[in-house]
Amino acid sequence: MFILKPHSGVPIYRQLSEQIRRMAASGQLQPGTELPSIRDLAIQHAINPMTVSKVYSLLEAEGVLERNRGKPMTIAKLARAQSPVAKRMQQLEPHLEQLVLAARQLELGEADVAKALRNTWEKTDERSVRRRTPAR
Amino acid sequence: MSVPYVAAHRLGKAFYGKTVLEDVSFSVEPGDIVGVLGKNGAGKTTLLELVLGFSPPTAGRVEVFGHPSFRLPGAAKARLGFVPQQDELVNSLTAADQIGVIASFYPRWDDELINGLSRAWEVDPSERIKGMSVGQRQKLSILLALGHRPDLLILDEPVASLDPVARRQFLEQIIDVAADGRRAVVFSSHIVSDVERLANKIWIVKDHRLYWQGDFDSLKDSIVRLHIRAARALPDALAVPNALSVQRNGSTATVVVRDWSDALRGDVAERLGAEVEVEPLTLEDIFLELHR
Repeated sequence: MFILKPHSGVPIYRQLSEQIRRMAASGQLQPGTELPSIRDLAIQHAINPMTVSKVYSLLEAEGVLERNRGKPMTIAKLARAQSPVAKRMQQLEPHLEQLVLAARQLELGEADVAKALRNTWEKTDERSVRRRTPAR
Repeated sequence: MSVPYVAAHRLGKAFYGKTVLEDVSFSVEPGDIVGVLGKNGAGKTTLLELVLGFSPPTAGRVEVFGHPSFRLPGAAKARLGFVPQQDELVNSLTAADQIGVIASFYPRWDDELINGLSRAWEVDPSERIKGMSVGQRQKLSILLALGHRPDLLILDEPVASLDPVARRQFLEQIIDVAADGRRAVVFSSHIVSDVERLANKIWIVKDHRLYWQGDFDSLKDSIVRLHIRAARALPDALAVPNALSVQRNGSTATVVVRDWSDALRGDVAERLGAEVEVEPLTLEDIFLELHR
């Protein structure tokens, strides 16, 4: 279900939480989908159970996951709606900084970069629309 | 907050006036899996043996289940499990007899668990210990420490001689012990990749002190490698805070820092007029960097 690389340098809790967040946001994990138990996920990937429980609690607090008494955790029904724009923008911030840095080093102006961003945005939007169509 | 299983305060040990461990404080909570790292002779075994109460500390104190470890009552001792670096098996016995001897000390020995694990780990009960390989002996030692389902399991280099399959089986067993959050594991190992998978807390023993200890996740966030690229030559003094090592080449530099936080990136970048890329490090890299 998840791809975890314990030796990648990125803490495992962050790899796991980002994957669940992304998969819930993109709809790959539909609301109501059951997640493996802490023990099962820990043993399957040979990782610390506390790491898994930390991720589940964190995502529950964010509203991505729902805890169900005596039953597996599930993807929350309102996973997408509950993450406010400001919070998602915050996740984008480091990428923006990198982009601006690179643009400055290339001595490109704000207007040109903004235009390029808009173009790329539209191009990838078309592509994702096209990719989605045959599946329907 | 529950009572910690282990609490050490300014612990020290000297043998014949020679310091082996100095000013070490730590705690182990239920559910913890602690990975102890250090070069040979750094003091790892001494640290574990002080927790086990094999000898009294020469400074400070260490309590296990709320009792001084050197004077641990029998009931508390029964909650401890230990796998020593050098096994203490009796050569003339078979595996089954050796298990029987240890099991007789514990009223609540879990036969079902040990029989199941013996099969899974391919430990033949009828085999005489004298004829066993080092790996088989190690597996048997681990079984002996698991059978009474200890609340605190301490292992000193438990997997050095195990093949990758046996090592993975061992890791799964450790996860199983810690999974319900009521038991704890402390293990020292040179197999950094195992520690990286399992540990939520890391203790790095260096020069007879606990050089670094804390949450594994914060260790990974705090020790990173910076790749600095400037448009022009970098100044002689980079003045990057808490640098462990610096390699430079004209307008670029690679710096390993400790106590890093992402908030510092903007400062460094602005001051040097450079692009700063943060590379996370593996535990092995971190260990090597701390021993430069």
